[in-house]
Amino acid sequence: MTDQLDAIVSDIVSNSPSGEISEVVKDLKVIIGESGEEAIKAAVEKYNIANWIPIKLGSESVIVSDFNKSGTKFYDPKSSQLFSVDHLKRLALDVQPCDKELKANELAIYNDLDSYVKNSFANETSCAVYPGESANEIVLIIVGTKYSPANFWNGQWKSFYRFNTQSKQLSGSIHVRIHYFEEGNVNFSNDKDVKAENVDDVASAIKDLEDNWEQEMEKDFFNLNEKEFKLLRRRLPVTRSKINWGKGIGNYRIGKDSAASQ
Amino acid sequence: MSSEKFEAAMDLLRRLDPTKVEKHLTQLIKLEPELAEDLLASVDVPLQVKKDPNASHREFLCCDYNRDIDSHRSPWTNVYVPSLEPEDAEESPFPSEKTRQLEILANDSFDIYRDLYYEGGVSSVYLWDLDDATDDFAGVILLKKSENSRSSWDAIHVLEVLNNGNKAEYRITTTIILHLNSGSQKTTLSGNLTRQTEKTYELPTGVPHGKLQVWHTSNLGSMIEDVESQMRNILEVVYFDKTRDIYHELRDGSFSATNSNRAAHEQVIKGLQGM
Repeated sequence: MTDQLDAIVSDIVSNSPSGEISEVVKDLKVIIGESGEEAIKAAVEKYNIANWIPIKLGSESVIVSDFNKSGTKFYDPKSSQLFSVDHLKRLALDVQPCDKELKANELAIYNDLDSYVKNSFANETSCAVYPGESANEIVLIIVGTKYSPANFWNGQWKSFYRFNTQSKQLSGSIHVRIHYFEEGNVNFSNDKDVKAENVDDVASAIKDLEDNWEQEMEKDFFNLNEKEFKLLRRRLPVTRSKINWGKGIGNYRIGKDSAASQ
Repeated sequence: MSSEKFEAAMDLLRRLDPTKVEKHLTQLIKLEPELAEDLLASVDVPLQVKKDPNASHREFLCCDYNRDIDSHRSPWTNVYVPSLEPEDAEESPFPSEKTRQLEILANDSFDIYRDLYYEGGVSSVYLWDLDDATDDFAGVILLKKSENSRSSWDAIHVLEVLNNGNKAEYRITTTIILHLNSGSQKTTLSGNLTRQTEKTYELPTGVPHGKLQVWHTSNLGSMIEDVESQMRNILEVVYFDKTRDIYHELRDGSFSATNSNRAAHEQVIKGLQGM
Protein backbone atom coordinates (compact mmCIF):
# COMPACT_ATOMS: atom_id res chain seq x y z
CA MET A 1 0.00 0.00 0.00
CA THR A 2 2.87 2.39 0.77
CA ASP A 3 4.16 2.25 -2.82
CA GLN A 4 0.66 2.71 -4.15
CA LEU A 5 0.01 5.60 -1.77
CA ASP A 6 3.27 7.31 -2.81
CA ALA A 7 2.39 6.88 -6.48
CA ILE A 8 -1.14 8.26 -6.06
CA VAL A 9 0.00 11.23 -3.96
CA SER A 10 2.72 12.01 -6.49
CA ASP A 11 0.26 11.85 -9.40
CA ILE A 12 -2.35 14.01 -7.66
CA VAL A 13 0.23 16.66 -6.75
CA SER A 14 1.70 16.61 -10.28
CA ASN A 15 -1.75 17.46 -11.72
CA SER A 16 -2.29 20.45 -9.41
CA PRO A 17 -2.23 24.09 -10.48
CA SER A 18 0.93 25.73 -9.11
CA GLY A 19 -1.01 28.36 -7.20
CA GLU A 20 -3.06 25.79 -5.28
CA ILE A 21 -0.42 23.39 -3.96
CA SER A 22 -0.97 24.39 -0.33
CA GLU A 23 -4.74 23.68 -0.61
CA VAL A 24 -4.04 20.36 -2.33
CA VAL A 25 -1.59 19.41 0.43
CA LYS A 26 -4.15 20.36 3.09
CA ASP A 27 -6.85 18.23 1.44
CA LEU A 28 -4.50 15.26 1.03
CA LYS A 29 -3.55 15.43 4.71
CA VAL A 30 -7.22 15.29 5.70
CA ILE A 31 -7.78 12.22 3.50
CA ILE A 32 -4.66 10.16 4.27
CA GLY A 33 -3.73 11.52 7.70
CA GLU A 34 -0.34 12.12 9.28
CA SER A 35 1.09 8.87 7.89
CA GLY A 36 1.13 10.40 4.42
CA GLU A 37 3.19 13.44 5.38
CA GLU A 38 6.50 12.13 3.96
CA ALA A 39 4.87 11.08 0.67
CA ILE A 40 3.31 14.55 0.33
CA LYS A 41 6.60 16.30 1.05
CA ALA A 42 8.44 14.19 -1.52
CA ALA A 43 5.71 14.82 -4.12
CA VAL A 44 5.84 18.61 -3.59
CA GLU A 45 9.65 18.64 -3.91
CA LYS A 46 9.39 16.71 -7.18
CA TYR A 47 6.66 19.09 -8.36
CA ASN A 48 8.67 22.24 -7.57
CA ILE A 49 11.72 20.98 -9.45
CA ALA A 50 9.73 19.70 -12.46
CA ASN A 51 7.77 22.97 -12.71
CA TRP A 52 10.72 25.30 -12.01
CA ILE A 53 8.83 26.92 -9.15
CA PRO A 54 10.40 30.19 -7.96
CA ILE A 55 11.25 30.26 -4.25
CA LYS A 56 12.12 33.22 -2.01
CA LEU A 57 15.85 33.83 -1.62
CA GLY A 58 16.22 37.07 0.32
CA SER A 59 14.37 39.69 -1.72
CA GLU A 60 14.71 37.71 -4.95
CA SER A 61 12.62 34.89 -6.44
CA VAL A 62 14.88 32.12 -7.65
CA ILE A 63 13.91 29.09 -9.77
CA VAL A 64 14.60 25.56 -8.54
CA SER A 65 15.28 23.05 -11.33
CA ASP A 66 17.43 20.09 -12.30
CA PHE A 67 19.81 22.61 -13.91
CA ASN A 68 20.80 24.31 -10.66
CA LYS A 69 20.59 21.32 -8.35
CA SER A 70 23.70 20.39 -6.40
CA GLY A 71 23.21 17.28 -4.30
CA THR A 72 20.21 18.00 -2.08
CA LYS A 73 20.81 21.76 -2.44
CA PHE A 74 20.36 24.34 -5.18
CA TYR A 75 22.48 27.25 -6.33
CA ASP A 76 21.83 30.60 -7.91
CA PRO A 77 24.63 31.35 -10.39
CA LYS A 78 23.57 35.00 -10.63
CA SER A 79 24.24 35.76 -6.97
CA SER A 80 26.66 32.84 -6.35
CA GLN A 81 24.67 31.46 -3.44
CA LEU A 82 23.98 27.88 -2.34
CA PHE A 83 20.83 27.02 -0.38
CA SER A 84 18.42 24.34 0.84
CA VAL A 85 14.71 24.69 0.18
CA ASP A 86 11.57 24.40 2.26
CA HIS A 87 9.45 23.12 -0.62
CA LEU A 88 6.10 23.58 1.09
CA LYS A 89 6.79 27.21 2.02
CA ARG A 90 8.77 27.92 -1.17
CA LEU A 91 11.58 29.42 0.91
CA ALA A 92 15.40 29.22 0.74
CA LEU A 93 17.18 28.05 3.93
CA ASP A 94 20.84 27.83 5.04
CA VAL A 95 21.95 30.32 2.40
CA GLN A 96 25.72 30.43 1.90
CA PRO A 97 28.09 31.83 -0.73
CA CYS A 98 29.40 29.43 -3.40
CA ASP A 99 31.77 29.52 -6.36
CA LYS A 100 29.13 28.99 -9.07
CA GLU A 101 28.87 32.05 -11.25
CA LEU A 102 27.74 33.14 -14.68
CA LYS A 103 30.39 33.57 -17.38
CA ALA A 104 30.58 36.99 -19.03
CA ASN A 105 28.53 35.94 -22.09
CA GLU A 106 25.96 34.19 -19.87
CA LEU A 107 25.64 37.27 -17.68
CA ALA A 108 25.09 39.46 -20.75
CA ILE A 109 22.30 37.12 -21.95
CA TYR A 110 20.81 37.04 -18.45
CA ASN A 111 20.67 40.84 -18.32
CA ASP A 112 18.91 41.03 -21.71
CA LEU A 113 16.48 38.28 -20.72
CA ASP A 114 15.76 39.96 -17.38
CA SER A 115 14.99 43.26 -19.04
CA TYR A 116 12.69 41.55 -21.61
CA VAL A 117 10.89 39.73 -18.77
CA LYS A 118 10.45 42.96 -16.77
CA ASN A 119 8.90 44.65 -19.81
CA SER A 120 6.59 41.93 -21.07
CA PHE A 121 5.58 39.81 -18.10
CA ALA A 122 3.67 40.18 -14.86
CA ASN A 123 5.71 41.25 -11.81
CA GLU A 124 5.72 37.72 -10.40
CA THR A 125 8.01 36.41 -13.15
CA SER A 126 11.48 34.95 -12.70
CA CYS A 127 14.10 34.04 -15.25
CA ALA A 128 17.34 32.15 -15.11
CA VAL A 129 20.38 31.32 -17.22
CA TYR A 130 22.38 28.14 -16.54
CA PRO A 131 25.29 26.39 -18.20
CA GLY A 132 23.88 23.57 -20.38
CA GLU A 133 24.98 19.97 -20.82
CA SER A 134 27.74 20.74 -23.34
CA ALA A 135 30.34 23.52 -23.32
CA ASN A 136 28.53 25.51 -26.05
CA GLU A 137 25.09 25.21 -24.55
CA ILE A 138 23.21 27.70 -22.41
CA VAL A 139 19.85 26.93 -20.80
CA LEU A 140 17.29 29.72 -20.30
CA ILE A 141 14.11 29.52 -18.27
CA ILE A 142 11.24 31.96 -17.75
CA VAL A 143 8.59 31.19 -15.14
CA GLY A 144 5.71 33.53 -14.53
CA THR A 145 2.97 32.93 -12.04
CA LYS A 146 0.00 35.11 -11.34
CA TYR A 147 -2.36 33.96 -8.64
CA SER A 148 -5.71 35.58 -8.01
CA PRO A 149 -7.59 33.13 -5.78
CA ALA A 150 -10.00 35.87 -4.65
CA ASN A 151 -11.14 36.05 -8.27
CA PHE A 152 -11.05 32.25 -8.62
CA TRP A 153 -8.17 31.99 -11.04
CA ASN A 154 -4.48 31.12 -11.11
CA GLY A 155 -2.17 31.23 -14.10
CA GLN A 156 1.26 29.92 -14.89
CA TRP A 157 3.66 30.58 -17.76
CA LYS A 158 6.76 28.47 -18.34
CA SER A 159 9.19 28.73 -21.21
CA PHE A 160 12.44 26.88 -21.65
CA TYR A 161 15.22 27.26 -24.22
CA ARG A 162 18.55 25.72 -25.16
CA PHE A 163 20.90 28.04 -27.02
CA ASN A 164 23.99 26.74 -28.79
CA THR A 165 26.55 29.53 -28.85
CA GLN A 166 28.44 27.86 -31.73
CA SER A 167 25.63 26.91 -34.14
CA LYS A 168 23.48 29.90 -33.00
CA GLN A 169 20.47 27.62 -32.81
CA LEU A 170 17.74 28.31 -30.27
CA SER A 171 15.13 25.66 -29.48
CA GLY A 172 12.62 25.44 -26.73
CA SER A 173 9.05 25.11 -25.58
CA ILE A 174 6.29 27.24 -24.09
CA HIS A 175 3.80 25.84 -21.55
CA VAL A 176 0.89 27.87 -20.29
CA ARG A 177 -1.73 26.72 -17.86
CA ILE A 178 -4.70 28.61 -16.43
CA HIS A 179 -7.14 27.40 -13.81
CA TYR A 180 -10.52 29.08 -13.34
CA PHE A 181 -12.68 27.72 -10.56
CA GLU A 182 -15.69 29.87 -9.78
CA GLU A 183 -18.61 27.40 -9.51
CA GLY A 184 -16.68 24.96 -11.61
CA ASN A 185 -13.27 23.78 -12.70
CA VAL A 186 -12.01 25.04 -16.04
CA ASN A 187 -8.53 24.42 -17.29
CA PHE A 188 -6.67 25.96 -20.23
CA SER A 189 -3.40 24.47 -21.31
CA ASN A 190 -1.08 24.90 -24.24
CA ASP A 191 2.28 23.31 -24.96
CA LYS A 192 4.23 24.51 -27.94
CA ASP A 193 7.68 23.66 -29.31
CA VAL A 194 9.51 26.59 -30.89
CA LYS A 195 12.86 27.23 -32.54
CA ALA A 196 14.92 29.88 -34.31
CA GLU A 197 18.10 29.76 -36.44
CA ASN A 198 21.04 32.15 -36.75
CA VAL A 199 20.33 33.83 -33.46
CA ASP A 200 22.63 36.64 -32.39
CA ASP A 201 20.44 38.35 -29.83
CA VAL A 202 18.94 35.55 -27.72
CA ALA A 203 16.51 37.63 -25.66
CA SER A 204 15.11 39.37 -28.70
CA ALA A 205 14.70 36.01 -30.53
CA ILE A 206 12.81 34.70 -27.50
CA LYS A 207 10.62 37.80 -27.48
CA ASP A 208 9.73 37.21 -31.15
CA LEU A 209 8.89 33.54 -30.53
CA GLU A 210 6.71 34.43 -27.54
CA ASP A 211 4.99 37.36 -29.29
CA ASN A 212 4.23 34.91 -32.06
CA TRP A 213 2.76 32.47 -29.50
CA GLU A 214 0.31 35.16 -28.34
CA GLN A 215 -0.75 35.85 -31.91
CA GLU A 216 -1.23 32.15 -32.64
CA MET A 217 -3.35 31.81 -29.53
CA GLU A 218 -5.74 34.46 -30.89
CA LYS A 219 -6.23 32.33 -34.02
CA ASP A 220 -6.49 29.15 -32.00
CA PHE A 221 -9.18 30.59 -29.74
CA PHE A 222 -11.10 31.87 -32.73
CA ASN A 223 -11.01 28.41 -34.33
CA LEU A 224 -11.96 26.63 -31.11
CA ASN A 225 -14.96 28.90 -30.72
CA GLU A 226 -16.03 28.85 -34.38
CA LYS A 227 -15.16 25.31 -35.41
CA GLU A 228 -15.49 23.26 -32.25
CA PHE A 229 -17.75 24.99 -29.71
CA LYS A 230 -20.37 26.09 -32.25
CA LEU A 231 -20.86 22.55 -33.52
CA LEU A 232 -21.71 21.19 -30.09
CA ARG A 233 -24.85 23.14 -29.16
CA ARG A 234 -26.63 25.81 -31.18
CA ARG A 235 -27.51 29.18 -29.67
CA LEU A 236 -31.04 28.82 -31.07
CA PRO A 237 -32.77 25.86 -32.73
CA VAL A 238 -32.70 25.40 -36.50
CA THR A 239 -36.13 27.09 -36.48
CA ARG A 240 -34.49 30.26 -35.02
CA SER A 241 -37.05 30.55 -32.24
CA LYS A 242 -37.49 28.95 -28.86
CA ILE A 243 -39.31 25.66 -28.59
CA ASN A 244 -43.06 25.48 -28.27
CA TRP A 245 -43.24 22.90 -25.47
CA GLY A 246 -46.33 20.90 -24.63
CA LYS A 247 -48.64 18.61 -26.54
CA GLY A 248 -47.71 20.10 -29.88
CA ILE A 249 -43.98 19.43 -29.58
CA GLY A 250 -44.38 16.35 -31.82
CA ASN A 251 -45.16 18.73 -34.71
CA TYR A 252 -41.45 19.53 -34.98
CA ARG A 253 -40.89 15.89 -35.84
CA ILE A 254 -43.77 15.78 -38.32
CA GLY A 255 -42.44 18.97 -39.90
CA LYS A 256 -39.01 17.48 -40.21
CA ASP A 257 -40.26 14.16 -41.60
CA SER A 258 -42.40 15.84 -44.23
CA ALA A 259 -39.54 18.17 -45.18
CA ALA A 260 -37.30 15.11 -45.54
CA SER A 261 -39.83 13.25 -47.70
CA GLN A 262 -40.31 16.13 -50.12
CA MET B 1 -17.69 8.24 7.14
CA SER B 2 -16.11 11.56 7.90
CA SER B 3 -17.69 14.45 6.05
CA GLU B 4 -14.40 16.29 6.46
CA LYS B 5 -12.71 13.73 4.19
CA PHE B 6 -15.53 13.99 1.68
CA GLU B 7 -15.25 17.80 1.58
CA ALA B 8 -11.47 17.52 1.12
CA ALA B 9 -11.91 15.06 -1.75
CA MET B 10 -14.50 17.32 -3.43
CA ASP B 11 -12.18 20.31 -3.01
CA LEU B 12 -9.33 18.37 -4.62
CA LEU B 13 -11.47 17.42 -7.60
CA ARG B 14 -12.31 21.10 -8.12
CA ARG B 15 -8.58 21.87 -8.36
CA LEU B 16 -7.05 18.97 -10.28
CA ASP B 17 -6.88 18.77 -14.07
CA PRO B 18 -10.52 18.26 -15.15
CA THR B 19 -9.51 16.11 -18.13
CA LYS B 20 -8.37 13.46 -15.64
CA VAL B 21 -11.37 13.52 -13.29
CA GLU B 22 -12.16 9.79 -13.72
CA LYS B 23 -8.57 8.82 -12.89
CA HIS B 24 -8.42 11.07 -9.82
CA LEU B 25 -11.80 9.80 -8.63
CA THR B 26 -10.46 6.22 -8.75
CA GLN B 27 -7.27 7.29 -6.95
CA LEU B 28 -9.15 9.04 -4.15
CA ILE B 29 -11.35 5.97 -3.64
CA LYS B 30 -8.18 3.85 -3.39
CA LEU B 31 -6.82 6.22 -0.74
CA GLU B 32 -10.09 6.12 1.21
CA PRO B 33 -12.49 3.34 0.08
CA GLU B 34 -15.22 4.64 2.39
CA LEU B 35 -15.57 7.69 0.14
CA ALA B 36 -16.64 5.57 -2.86
CA GLU B 37 -20.41 5.79 -2.63
CA ASP B 38 -20.65 9.51 -1.85
CA LEU B 39 -18.05 10.53 -4.41
CA LEU B 40 -19.59 8.44 -7.20
CA ALA B 41 -22.96 10.04 -6.47
CA SER B 42 -21.61 13.62 -6.28
CA VAL B 43 -18.93 13.95 -8.93
CA ASP B 44 -20.03 14.57 -12.49
CA VAL B 45 -17.99 12.70 -15.06
CA PRO B 46 -18.46 12.62 -18.84
CA LEU B 47 -21.46 10.43 -19.69
CA GLN B 48 -21.01 6.93 -21.07
CA VAL B 49 -23.08 5.78 -24.04
CA LYS B 50 -24.64 2.31 -24.25
CA LYS B 51 -26.80 0.70 -26.95
CA ASP B 52 -30.16 -0.86 -26.16
CA PRO B 53 -30.33 -4.28 -27.90
CA ASN B 54 -34.12 -4.29 -27.41
CA ALA B 55 -34.59 -0.96 -29.24
CA SER B 56 -32.67 -1.49 -32.50
CA HIS B 57 -29.43 -0.70 -30.66
CA ARG B 58 -30.54 2.88 -30.09
CA GLU B 59 -28.02 4.77 -27.94
CA PHE B 60 -28.79 5.91 -24.40
CA LEU B 61 -26.80 7.68 -21.68
CA CYS B 62 -25.50 6.18 -18.47
CA CYS B 63 -24.87 7.73 -15.08
CA ASP B 64 -25.06 6.74 -11.43
CA TYR B 65 -28.84 7.43 -11.40
CA ASN B 66 -29.82 4.69 -13.88
CA ARG B 67 -27.15 2.21 -12.75
CA ASP B 68 -27.67 -1.06 -10.93
CA ILE B 69 -24.49 -3.07 -10.31
CA ASP B 70 -22.81 -2.73 -13.73
CA SER B 71 -26.00 -2.45 -15.76
CA HIS B 72 -27.93 0.64 -16.82
CA ARG B 73 -31.67 1.06 -17.37
CA SER B 74 -32.55 2.10 -20.92
CA PRO B 75 -35.09 4.94 -21.19
CA TRP B 76 -36.44 3.44 -24.45
CA THR B 77 -37.49 0.04 -23.06
CA ASN B 78 -37.21 0.40 -19.25
CA VAL B 79 -34.88 -2.66 -19.30
CA TYR B 80 -31.41 -2.96 -17.73
CA VAL B 81 -28.50 -3.41 -20.18
CA PRO B 82 -26.80 -5.86 -20.01
CA SER B 83 -29.50 -7.91 -18.34
CA LEU B 84 -28.90 -8.79 -14.70
CA GLU B 85 -28.93 -12.23 -13.05
CA PRO B 86 -32.53 -13.01 -11.99
CA GLU B 87 -31.72 -12.82 -8.27
CA ASP B 88 -30.12 -9.38 -8.72
CA ALA B 89 -32.84 -8.12 -11.06
CA GLU B 90 -35.51 -8.59 -8.37
CA GLU B 91 -33.96 -5.73 -6.43
CA SER B 92 -33.47 -3.36 -9.38
CA PRO B 93 -35.13 0.02 -8.99
CA PHE B 94 -37.86 1.11 -11.44
CA PRO B 95 -40.11 4.19 -11.49
CA SER B 96 -43.79 3.72 -10.63
CA GLU B 97 -46.17 3.31 -13.57
CA LYS B 98 -47.31 6.94 -13.28
CA THR B 99 -43.72 8.24 -13.17
CA ARG B 100 -42.71 5.95 -16.05
CA GLN B 101 -45.49 7.52 -18.18
CA LEU B 102 -44.01 10.95 -17.45
CA GLU B 103 -40.52 9.58 -18.17
CA ILE B 104 -41.61 8.28 -21.59
CA LEU B 105 -43.15 11.64 -22.50
CA ALA B 106 -40.09 13.54 -21.23
CA ASN B 107 -37.76 11.31 -23.26
CA ASP B 108 -39.82 11.92 -26.42
CA SER B 109 -39.85 15.69 -25.84
CA PHE B 110 -36.16 16.02 -24.98
CA ASP B 111 -35.28 13.88 -27.98
CA ILE B 112 -36.91 16.59 -30.12
CA TYR B 113 -35.16 19.31 -28.11
CA ARG B 114 -31.83 17.51 -28.68
CA ASP B 115 -32.44 17.33 -32.41
CA LEU B 116 -33.31 21.05 -32.64
CA TYR B 117 -30.38 22.37 -30.56
CA TYR B 118 -27.68 19.73 -30.96
CA GLU B 119 -28.35 18.35 -34.45
CA GLY B 120 -27.01 15.02 -33.31
CA GLY B 121 -25.88 13.60 -29.99
CA VAL B 122 -27.84 11.51 -27.51
CA SER B 123 -30.38 12.39 -24.80
CA SER B 124 -31.88 10.40 -21.92
CA VAL B 125 -34.25 11.26 -19.08
CA TYR B 126 -34.53 9.18 -15.90
CA LEU B 127 -37.13 9.82 -13.21
CA TRP B 128 -37.88 8.27 -9.86
CA ASP B 129 -40.53 8.70 -7.17
CA LEU B 130 -39.71 10.62 -4.01
CA ASP B 131 -42.81 9.75 -2.02
CA ASP B 132 -45.67 7.41 -2.88
CA ALA B 133 -48.20 9.54 -1.01
CA THR B 134 -47.52 12.66 -3.11
CA ASP B 135 -46.68 13.39 -6.72
CA ASP B 136 -43.18 14.54 -5.78
CA PHE B 137 -40.50 13.18 -8.05
CA ALA B 138 -36.84 13.59 -8.91
CA GLY B 139 -34.82 12.84 -11.97
CA VAL B 140 -31.98 13.59 -14.27
CA ILE B 141 -32.02 14.97 -17.81
CA LEU B 142 -28.88 14.11 -19.79
CA LEU B 143 -27.60 15.39 -23.14
CA LYS B 144 -24.33 14.55 -24.82
CA LYS B 145 -22.77 15.68 -28.08
CA SER B 146 -19.29 14.80 -29.30
CA GLU B 147 -17.74 16.33 -32.35
CA ASN B 148 -14.86 14.29 -33.82
CA SER B 149 -12.78 12.86 -30.99
CA ARG B 150 -11.58 16.22 -29.70
CA SER B 151 -14.61 18.14 -28.47
CA SER B 152 -17.56 17.17 -26.35
CA TRP B 153 -20.47 18.68 -24.43
CA ASP B 154 -22.14 16.77 -21.58
CA ALA B 155 -25.15 18.35 -19.89
CA ILE B 156 -26.32 16.84 -16.60
CA HIS B 157 -29.48 18.34 -15.07
CA VAL B 158 -30.43 16.85 -11.71
CA LEU B 159 -33.96 17.87 -10.77
CA GLU B 160 -36.47 17.70 -7.97
CA VAL B 161 -40.16 18.58 -8.27
CA LEU B 162 -42.06 19.12 -5.02
CA ASN B 163 -45.79 19.73 -4.84
CA ASN B 164 -46.83 22.33 -2.34
CA GLY B 165 -50.56 23.12 -2.18
CA ASN B 166 -51.56 24.53 -5.53
CA LYS B 167 -47.97 25.02 -6.62
CA ALA B 168 -45.13 22.85 -7.85
CA GLU B 169 -41.53 23.82 -7.02
CA TYR B 170 -38.81 22.88 -9.48
CA ARG B 171 -35.16 22.75 -8.42
CA ILE B 172 -32.51 21.97 -11.00
CA THR B 173 -28.73 21.62 -10.59
CA THR B 174 -27.03 21.84 -13.96
CA THR B 175 -23.47 20.81 -14.74
CA ILE B 176 -22.03 21.22 -18.21
CA ILE B 177 -18.79 19.40 -18.90
CA LEU B 178 -17.16 20.97 -21.94
CA HIS B 179 -13.96 19.73 -23.57
CA LEU B 180 -12.41 21.53 -26.52
CA ASN B 181 -9.13 20.66 -28.17
CA SER B 182 -7.49 22.18 -31.20
CA GLY B 183 -5.57 19.01 -32.09
CA SER B 184 -2.19 19.78 -33.59
CA GLN B 185 -1.96 23.16 -31.83
CA LYS B 186 -2.09 21.36 -28.48
CA THR B 187 -4.52 23.87 -27.00
CA THR B 188 -6.97 22.37 -24.55
CA LEU B 189 -9.89 24.14 -22.91
CA SER B 190 -11.72 21.77 -20.65
CA GLY B 191 -13.70 21.55 -17.48
CA ASN B 192 -17.13 22.03 -16.03
CA LEU B 193 -19.41 24.69 -14.61
CA THR B 194 -22.38 24.18 -12.29
CA ARG B 195 -25.40 26.41 -11.70
CA GLN B 196 -28.65 26.04 -9.79
CA THR B 197 -32.11 27.16 -10.87
CA GLU B 198 -35.41 27.23 -9.04
CA LYS B 199 -38.86 28.04 -10.27
CA THR B 200 -42.39 27.70 -8.92
CA TYR B 201 -45.38 27.10 -11.20
CA GLU B 202 -49.06 27.40 -10.22
CA LEU B 203 -50.85 24.10 -10.84
CA PRO B 204 -53.31 24.40 -13.74
CA THR B 205 -56.97 24.24 -12.82
CA GLY B 206 -59.26 21.61 -14.24
CA VAL B 207 -56.56 19.06 -14.97
CA PRO B 208 -57.24 15.79 -13.15
CA HIS B 209 -54.74 14.56 -10.59
CA GLY B 210 -52.19 12.27 -12.25
CA LYS B 211 -52.73 13.86 -15.69
CA LEU B 212 -50.05 16.48 -15.32
CA GLN B 213 -47.43 14.73 -17.47
CA VAL B 214 -47.62 17.22 -20.34
CA TRP B 215 -47.59 20.14 -17.92
CA HIS B 216 -44.50 18.90 -16.04
CA THR B 217 -42.68 18.12 -19.28
CA SER B 218 -43.41 21.62 -20.64
CA ASN B 219 -42.19 23.30 -17.44
CA LEU B 220 -39.03 21.20 -17.32
CA GLY B 221 -38.53 21.77 -21.03
CA SER B 222 -38.64 25.58 -20.81
CA MET B 223 -36.44 25.60 -17.72
CA ILE B 224 -33.79 23.36 -19.32
CA GLU B 225 -33.95 25.32 -22.57
CA ASP B 226 -33.33 28.58 -20.67
CA VAL B 227 -30.64 27.29 -18.35
CA GLU B 228 -28.70 25.64 -21.19
CA SER B 229 -28.83 28.84 -23.23
CA GLN B 230 -27.55 30.86 -20.24
CA MET B 231 -24.85 28.30 -19.51
CA ARG B 232 -23.78 28.32 -23.13
CA ASN B 233 -23.18 32.08 -22.84
CA ILE B 234 -21.34 31.72 -19.52
CA LEU B 235 -19.16 28.94 -20.93
CA GLU B 236 -18.29 31.07 -23.92
CA VAL B 237 -17.28 33.99 -21.69
CA VAL B 238 -15.30 31.85 -19.22
CA TYR B 239 -13.59 29.55 -21.72
CA PHE B 240 -12.70 32.17 -24.28
CA ASP B 241 -12.72 35.75 -22.92
CA LYS B 242 -11.73 35.04 -19.33
CA THR B 243 -8.91 32.63 -20.20
CA ARG B 244 -7.51 34.99 -22.78
CA ASP B 245 -7.59 37.91 -20.34
CA ILE B 246 -5.65 35.81 -17.83
CA TYR B 247 -2.85 34.80 -20.17
CA HIS B 248 -2.51 38.42 -21.18
CA GLU B 249 -2.08 39.14 -17.47
CA LEU B 250 0.79 36.65 -17.36
CA ARG B 251 2.45 37.99 -20.46
CA ASP B 252 1.56 40.95 -22.58
CA GLY B 253 3.78 41.37 -25.63
CA SER B 254 2.16 44.72 -26.30
CA PHE B 255 3.30 46.15 -22.95
CA SER B 256 5.04 49.20 -24.41
CA ALA B 257 2.24 50.01 -26.83
CA THR B 258 -0.51 48.97 -24.48
CA ASN B 259 -3.36 51.22 -25.46
CA SER B 260 -3.70 50.59 -29.17
CA ASN B 261 -3.28 46.85 -28.78
CA ARG B 262 -5.68 46.59 -25.87
CA ALA B 263 -8.28 48.35 -27.97
CA ALA B 264 -7.68 45.91 -30.85
CA HIS B 265 -7.92 43.00 -28.42
CA GLU B 266 -11.23 44.27 -27.08
CA GLN B 267 -12.51 44.56 -30.63
CA VAL B 268 -11.68 40.90 -31.24
CA ILE B 269 -13.58 39.91 -28.10
CA LYS B 270 -16.57 42.00 -29.12
CA GLY B 271 -16.46 40.45 -32.56
CA LEU B 272 -16.47 36.95 -31.09
CA GLN B 273 -19.32 37.76 -28.72
CA GLY B 274 -21.43 39.08 -31.56
CA MET B 275 -21.24 35.80 -33.47
